[in-house]
Amino acid sequence: MSPSLSRWLWHAVAIALLTVLGGALYLASKRIDYTWRWERIPQYLISTEGDDQTAPFDGFVAVSEDGKQLSMTALRGAETVQFTGFSTIVAGNGDLVFEGDVIAKTDAVSAGPLLVGLWLTLKISALSLVFALLLGLIVGLGRVSKNPAARDLAAFYVEVIRGTPLLVQIFIVYFFIGTVLQLSAFAAGVVALAVFTGAYVAEIVRAGIEAVPKGQTEAAQSVGLSGVQIMRYVILPQATRRILPPLAGQSINLIKDSSLVSVMALTDLTKAGREVVSSTFSPFEVWFVVALMYLLLTGVLSVAVRRLEKRYAVQG
Amino acid sequence: MTQTTMNDAGTVLIEAREIEKRYPNGVLGLKCASLSVRAGEVVVIVGPSGSGKSTLLRTFNGLESITGGEIVVDGHVLHQRSADLRALRQRVGMVFQQFNLFPHLTVLENLCLAPVKVLKLSAAQADERARALLAKVGLSNKSDCYPAQLSGGQQQRVAIARALAMQPAVILFDEPTSALDPEMVGEVLEVMKQLAIEGMTMCVVTHEMGFARAVADRVIFMDAGEILCEDAPDAFFGAPKHERLQSFLRQVL
Ligand SMILES: Nc1ncnc2c1ncn2[C@@H]1O[C@H](COP(=O)(O)OP(=O)(O)OP(=O)(O)O)[C@@H](O)[C@H]1O
Ligand SMILES: [Mg+2]
Repeated sequence: MSPSLSRWLWHAVAIALLTVLGGALYLASKRIDYTWRWERIPQYLISTEGDDQTAPFDGFVAVSEDGKQLSMTALRGAETVQFTGFSTIVAGNGDLVFEGDVIAKTDAVSAGPLLVGLWLTLKISALSLVFALLLGLIVGLGRVSKNPAARDLAAFYVEVIRGTPLLVQIFIVYFFIGTVLQLSAFAAGVVALAVFTGAYVAEIVRAGIEAVPKGQTEAAQSVGLSGVQIMRYVILPQATRRILPPLAGQSINLIKDSSLVSVMALTDLTKAGREVVSSTFSPFEVWFVVALMYLLLTGVLSVAVRRLEKRYAVQG
Repeated sequence: MTQTTMNDAGTVLIEAREIEKRYPNGVLGLKCASLSVRAGEVVVIVGPSGSGKSTLLRTFNGLESITGGEIVVDGHVLHQRSADLRALRQRVGMVFQQFNLFPHLTVLENLCLAPVKVLKLSAAQADERARALLAKVGLSNKSDCYPAQLSGGQQQRVAIARALAMQPAVILFDEPTSALDPEMVGEVLEVMKQLAIEGMTMCVVTHEMGFARAVADRVIFMDAGEILCEDAPDAFFGAPKHERLQSFLRQVL
């Protein structure tokens, strides 16, 4: 058998096994008598249900003959009001309605709760990543610094953060630091994720810097460059290439870890998923969709990083 | 001490007085080594492996600190706790066995980095200087290559040009040809020979006895961290005075 044919055969085996697994899952769901209701999911992604327009006071509805004008006259007094921007009129011409009754609907297409949650996850991850990179770079440089105080502080931070669970850190930031500094839940989430990820980034940065051969520093010293210049023009550019792949992995972890901020009053993708489950009673579909949306985020990120890596790898 | 602004022949550029280097692990790399190098001189240092040749050379630009004695290099005094070595290092070039070019920079950028960042030359001035030096080492057509695209011999010639770009008073060479394939040794030695003829002050650690014989003003023999003897090449190779030098020469020649 030719090597390429046997390779394809093994790929086929993998696909077959995955199919069997999927089938087993389906059968399992049959056994527990689960009714799949996929049709309920799309409305939580994209909501076509617009806002309601309600009566501002008690009164009579007036609808023009072509159905394009909608107005109301107050029951007591001569007050009238004209409605605009609606798509369907719920009330009929001449109806008596009371304050707060729905008389028309605007049917704007808007993001459903899952997409809104995804957006929040994206925002909080991106913002945390920026701060985590900054923090990680500074602490990573502290780890390789000549100054013992900088080294001690950096090591202390890394050990404390890596030695405690993220969930506990989130609680501490949210309930303690957040209360003292009056942080919003979003800010607390960004702080917790950035501080957590920063410790791992610092270790990645340190390893990247230490992997640059000593001869590079010596050569740079011999031409009279200062310590800062050596770091900036010689060491960091070379370390970047080594740092990039593990950093990509850490960024993907950050996106996944961000699901833990749902314990705070933040409706991220995971929290949105939980809310949708409680209103649809379709946990399987919802969690599969949520998982898929996380996969989408992490997948896009890893493709982007692979591009970046290729660009950096062009030079020798 | 005042800094020598001109390399008048005869001025002492490097004066090492009874220097000692004890590594943190207790190994004594240098013991009581004294040496002086005058401007325009080519001093070749030979000796068996582990005898302290690299250590001695690296103390001259502060890559190794010393634990005893004193070195004066071009007016800068180095002793146990010398702080700012940058001014000194601008005057002392170094060429390494492993070239140590910056792999993420092109040949031209390798040459321009320090002149621009340290000497504050304009990009145009540095560029001009770099191109002239590349022509001198015969690599004008490689200015936009990355180091990895060059042969070992070419890389070492770029490294020499990089050292020259700082217009140092002296250049230290630590086994510049030891990492090269035999067919590339010649091209590097040729460049070094040319530098010597032009009057560059050089300290060279090498196993190339032919080069020492032809180019050196003085040859120094080191063993076990000590400078055992120094002599003009003819006497050094023709009538070796020290017994250990004799046995060393028997092995390498
Ligand atoms: N960083 C270091 N830490 C501890 N000991 C060292 C260090 N560098 C060198 N030594 C020791 O100091 C002695 C002198 O080493 P050095 O490298 O100067 O020798 P060398 O003459 O250059 O040898 P070679 O020809 O192999 O390059 C050796 O015994 C070596 O093991
Ligand atoms: Mg050596």
